[in-house]
Amino acid sequence: MLQVPLLIPKTQNPTDSKDMANTKRYWTGLDDLHQTEAFQTLQSQEFPQHEAVDEMLGNEDLTSATTGRRDFLKFMGFSLAAATLAACETPVVKSIPYVNKPEGLTPGVANHYASTYYNGHDYMNVLVKTREGRPIFIKSNTATGVGRANVRVNASVMGLYDGARLQGPHLSGAGSTWEALDAEVAKGFAGAGRKVVLTNTVLSPSLQRSIDVFCEARGAEHLQVDAVSHSALRNAAKQHTGVDGIPAFDFAAAKAVVTVGADFLGTWGDAVYYAPEWAKSRRPENGEMSKLHAFETTMSLTGSNADTRTMVKPSEHGKVLAALHGIITGTGNASGLGEGVATAVQAAAADLKKAGSAGLVVAGSNDLDAQLVAAAINTALGADGTTVKYTGERLFAGDDAAFAQLVTDMNAGRVSALVMHGTNPAYHAADMEAFRTGLGKVKFSVSTSGLADESASRCTAMAPDHHWLENWMDLRIGGTRVDLAQPTIQPLFDTRAAGESFMAWAGQPTAWYDVIRTTHNAGYTGDAMYNDAAWNGSLHDGFYMTGEDMPASAPALATDASAAVRRLNAAKGGAMELALYQKQAIGSGDQAGNPMLQETPDPISKITWDNYVTMARVDMEAMGLNTYIAQRDKASVVKVTVNGQSVELPAFMQPGQTPGTVGIALGYGRGDGGENIGRAAFATGENGEHLLTADGKPMPIGANVFGFATVNGGVPRYDAYDVTVEATGAEYALAATQIHNTVMDRDSVVKETTFGSYLAEASKPKGQASWNRNHTLTVHEDVNGDGVIDASDGKKTSAFDLWHSHPVEGVGHRWGMTIDLTTCTGCSACVTACHIENNVPVVGKDEVRRHRDMHWMRIDRYYASDWSQARGEEEGVGVIASYTKMEDPSANPQTVHMPMMCQHCNHAPCETVCPVAATTHSNEGLNQMTYNRCIGTRYCANNCPYKVRRFNWFNYQGYAKFQHMNPSQDSLTRLVLNPDVTVRARGVIEKCSMCVQRIQDGKLEAKKNGAPVVDGAIKTACAEACPTNAITFGDLNDNASQVKTNSKNNRSYHALEEVGIQPNIFYMTKVRNTESNEA
Amino acid sequence: MQREAAIREPLILGHKTYKDITDDVVGPIMGPAPMGWKIMITISSIIALYGVGCILYLLGTGIGTWGLNKTVDWAWDITNFVWWVGIGHAGTLISAVLLLFRQKWRMAINRSAEAMTIFAVIMAAVFPGIHMGRIWVSYWVLPLPNQFGSLWVNFNSPLLWDVFAISTYFSVSLVFWYIGLIPDFATIRDRMTKPLPKKIYSILSFGWSGRAKHWTRFEEVSLVLAGIATPLVFSVHSIVSMDFATSVIPGWHTTIFPPYFVSGAVFSGFAMVQTLLLIMRKGMKLENYIHVKHVEYMNIVIIVTGSIVGVAYLTELFISWYSGVEYESYAFINRFSGPYSWAYWMMMTCNVISPQLFWIKKIRRSLVATFALSIVVNIGMWFERYVIIVTSLHRDYLPSSWGEFHATTIDIGIFIGTLGIFLTLFLAFARFFPVLALNELKTILKSSGESYKNEQAQ
Repeated sequence: MLQVPLLIPKTQNPTDSKDMANTKRYWTGLDDLHQTEAFQTLQSQEFPQHEAVDEMLGNEDLTSATTGRRDFLKFMGFSLAAATLAACETPVVKSIPYVNKPEGLTPGVANHYASTYYNGHDYMNVLVKTREGRPIFIKSNTATGVGRANVRVNASVMGLYDGARLQGPHLSGAGSTWEALDAEVAKGFAGAGRKVVLTNTVLSPSLQRSIDVFCEARGAEHLQVDAVSHSALRNAAKQHTGVDGIPAFDFAAAKAVVTVGADFLGTWGDAVYYAPEWAKSRRPENGEMSKLHAFETTMSLTGSNADTRTMVKPSEHGKVLAALHGIITGTGNASGLGEGVATAVQAAAADLKKAGSAGLVVAGSNDLDAQLVAAAINTALGADGTTVKYTGERLFAGDDAAFAQLVTDMNAGRVSALVMHGTNPAYHAADMEAFRTGLGKVKFSVSTSGLADESASRCTAMAPDHHWLENWMDLRIGGTRVDLAQPTIQPLFDTRAAGESFMAWAGQPTAWYDVIRTTHNAGYTGDAMYNDAAWNGSLHDGFYMTGEDMPASAPALATDASAAVRRLNAAKGGAMELALYQKQAIGSGDQAGNPMLQETPDPISKITWDNYVTMARVDMEAMGLNTYIAQRDKASVVKVTVNGQSVELPAFMQPGQTPGTVGIALGYGRGDGGENIGRAAFATGENGEHLLTADGKPMPIGANVFGFATVNGGVPRYDAYDVTVEATGAEYALAATQIHNTVMDRDSVVKETTFGSYLAEASKPKGQASWNRNHTLTVHEDVNGDGVIDASDGKKTSAFDLWHSHPVEGVGHRWGMTIDLTTCTGCSACVTACHIENNVPVVGKDEVRRHRDMHWMRIDRYYASDWSQARGEEEGVGVIASYTKMEDPSANPQTVHMPMMCQHCNHAPCETVCPVAATTHSNEGLNQMTYNRCIGTRYCANNCPYKVRRFNWFNYQGYAKFQHMNPSQDSLTRLVLNPDVTVRARGVIEKCSMCVQRIQDGKLEAKKNGAPVVDGAIKTACAEACPTNAITFGDLNDNASQVKTNSKNNRSYHALEEVGIQPNIFYMTKVRNTESNEA
Repeated sequence: MQREAAIREPLILGHKTYKDITDDVVGPIMGPAPMGWKIMITISSIIALYGVGCILYLLGTGIGTWGLNKTVDWAWDITNFVWWVGIGHAGTLISAVLLLFRQKWRMAINRSAEAMTIFAVIMAAVFPGIHMGRIWVSYWVLPLPNQFGSLWVNFNSPLLWDVFAISTYFSVSLVFWYIGLIPDFATIRDRMTKPLPKKIYSILSFGWSGRAKHWTRFEEVSLVLAGIATPLVFSVHSIVSMDFATSVIPGWHTTIFPPYFVSGAVFSGFAMVQTLLLIMRKGMKLENYIHVKHVEYMNIVIIVTGSIVGVAYLTELFISWYSGVEYESYAFINRFSGPYSWAYWMMMTCNVISPQLFWIKKIRRSLVATFALSIVVNIGMWFERYVIIVTSLHRDYLPSSWGEFHATTIDIGIFIGTLGIFLTLFLAFARFFPVLALNELKTILKSSGESYKNEQAQ
């Protein structure tokens, strides 16, 4: 908390006055009037010095004082009563207002700054919301028209306030000064030997320039390496066309997409850009829908959204591509594949052929041959220039072979000095141990990492870079756009921009801001910050367009892929194969210490805080492993061995996992040496304490499996064909937010249809089409008086109403939302956006395991089951047995993602049961929760059919169990909390408020402007974050609003409509394009 | 004076005289505490203190110390509440309803049954209090004038109805019980020689002098209170059942609940009376007052109410199928075949099958069998509430939210603790209060024994 010294106004001493008689005397108190000694002493000091506590305690006079029995009893009595009374009130933490208001900043009003996020993998133009000078929220900067922030970008704001950040330069593990550090670097780079600057892919022209200056001055060379390599994609493009850069895929233009192991909606390539583009082709109202075929090993986000998904082993990925290539070019067929896969390949090839130049094949494998064949297929389809453009996009420039050579040289003692920036090879190198020992042999090493991570902590020196929210940056991914990043807060610690460090180490110290300005304004001499309108305009927008394009030669399409096809077909699989993948929230693990991301459930498995081995049910049953995970049903631990290395991880039954394969996520096992990378990065036990390894260090979450990649010529391919999986007999608790997988035949929860059926009834009014029937119950009453009670009586239960209706239609605002299940990919960007916006508590693994996650916004994921009551009737299986069978998802299920939050029912069951009216209905259709009226009976939570109400089981802000994960338990991380939203006390219910603070803000803004609220001016955090625009928020009483239009669409329905609670949230029937495009 | 059949068994055995009755009831109060009592109250107070400790830990740390979660927001807390309230039904039924029906046999058991009611209702009231997230603002459920303008309680909420129902029931039961105690306290006062207890009993007896006027008023007040209490016997558990019946949760939303809950309450209440009285009659040597006939009568009540409960269970199952509502139907299928089916079959066995054994006269009149079955019935009735609450909640509408409930040591500790507090209170009652309505008993002594009449004739 801020400590403000008590200021006593300095008054003139009246005794000094020459003419006392004629001067009116004002005195501040009797001490002043009588000019007591104590007063004069106090006044002579500008700031009053309080008596030191130890001095006071040492005062003999005080200790010798006697207290009578009666006084003692009085004090005791008073203290007891006072303590009792004080204990009754929830503590109030007051904030202190500005005394002098900074310019451009109004307390209570948020400022937004355009900036750009880049961590070596995810790249996104963002807007940073700041309140009182604190960045608290990150959202997409849609002005560029491309890309939408994903879950990792949204949550990255937490990293700014990470208490584990380095607070200044370090030399040999101890704190130091920048001068001393610079001197050491100069010494370190003075000697002979190989001197290297190792970075992630540098997209900043200015940073590149400063690295170049440094390399030239110190005789060093610059190497780039990516955490998760995509070098095959880039090299294949180079071989295929001569253009150095990854291809730009246009998913919006594609009519048929085939992905072979590429999770392009989640973590593969430039996913922040692909996902929204792909969704544009998925609007059934357009009368046309693209079709997605996925061939993959482990169920990925993309696979869960595919129209047809085929399970293949990693060794078959190449063969699928080869077969596609053969069919499309007419040079081969799918005969080398298993029957099911071959059929799927033929279907995919047929769709691709039909789509022609609007077809697109992407391959996820980091194998050059696979990427070459994929590129050749696209060329054969004529897709080059339409769905694939070789524009030389500069992402993923890592050179794996050069990096492998560097590691060899380091181990041979040939490297004398090393600078690392934006990279952490001691964690993500395929041969991590070799890098670590090699790093120990480098005479001088320095890292610019903001955290003392696995690599930095092993360096001679640490020169922490600013957090990206504190830093200037220019970035250029490709095309003619240059993106800018600007500081949104003063650096919190004694850190220095990496570019500035490079300049300083080159012996040309220059302010980082000047370096950047010089890059873009050749004639820049001094700070023209406030009068350079062009620059200020660019900063305001977050980017500017240059005239010059990136150098890109015209595609020279010449390669013959037949050699690559031969090699792919020659691949020999094993009995048990391994696929490594990245999870949506954790990615490559660079934000392992981010509690928001750790607690965001994986969109597929719904597991939080953990790493596991995904396995197919048949394999698990053959090995006798537990397939059911719940609070007390623990997962079996298996030992996975690849090339002599092994890890022990819990096994998780993943529907859609190819039998004979296992999948493990990268990005876990961070901080295996107990490195200080954030409190939330380590495993916690039942009381929230850090679990310790045998040598007393905090235990990392999961295991690091970068080493399991198959390395070929230095290039890691993230799979392995020969692995062994053994049961260990141990058990391990996993924490999932959802433990039931199927929808149990409940057809009013999720509605889905195929594109063909949709088109057949596309013009039917809402509620009439077979795929979206009105779902209400009728009353057993002879309404039409014909003496028979039958369907024609048709009096709906909704005609009855026990309570007074809220007049919502056509009166004032009526806030509502529509959620399109067709375009919702389950990516969870809305989940983190909601949680950061609304200060949703992070509760840690043990509480999630007890089903006590606090998520206001969750994404329900349902798998299809092979069984249904209809099938049970056909096959003569009883109802009860059918229900049991329905609990099991199919081996390769279709998946639905359904965002679920408070439905703001107009006849809310929660409202009638609260004894103290703490939850009520607003006249704008919102179901409101009054936290300070809530007494915590939880009756409302029980009576909610959607189970969206969350109870504060503990005092998350103070209870020791949450010290390692809850942001509000750290005085620094607490700064990320949104001041517009109350942090809820223990014992009250909370839930989605439809971002009522944003609604209020928007209404006030409209009122100030004297105009009605414009549709789209107010957006809830989830709607704003949704990369595919599946969530639409607005005023249902505004007939022109998008949300009103959507709600009238014949695909829209209320979940659980027949309960009669009349929600303000509409879902739109999911449409799968499982038939051919012409259906 | 009352005419009765000569063959009817007397209600008080052992050729008691008025003095004998007074001696039997007041004697234990005046004498030193027996060793058995001391041991029992020590054990029960230790359990009670453990329970209080668990409650304090719960209040200090949060409701999260229970096993509840986002799906199952009530479990042992409300199960225990409903169970205790149910037990609290027998006393008032015995004293009020049987009084109105002039069932004289009730006189031997009504005092302790009423005491049990009072203590059970106190235990029941603990749970709605401590299950609140913020017990320190629990007074907000009272419609008190406040400084927040028109801020008022929500009269639509069944929980509020509960507050009124339980508090009314408790106060009426307490007054009814106390009125009955006044003449008996006076008797103790008159016998007591030690000055301090004499003083205390004299205060408690409100200056009762045994005048005819007092007796007239006593009778009138008893009758009036019985009239007030009788509807309460039916209203309290009906209202408790509405906590569930007015909700939208499949398995809760059932119109059969009010009668089903009331009969269940009487069922469990009588079972608890049996459990306690069978111990007490042995410990306090009251075999002549509470004998096989009383036990048999109560067992008959148990058969009747148990059968009603059984019919209700079957009706629920039928309706869930007949309604055609898939959620409702699944809720009941899940009850008997899902993860908590063990609890359902526990309930079915204990509540539906076991009381039917009382059709056999030998069992009905066997004290050992009665004692065993009374405990079985109470276990069954606890499970009934557990089944209704937990199995309905853990799988309701959206399968994505389906979950589980597992009790923690604090859940169990608090329940066991309330048993301890209850027993401690009851033991204290048995030691310091007249356990039989001795003055009322005297009214049936004269007319109830043929041998007595013969004695008089001699």
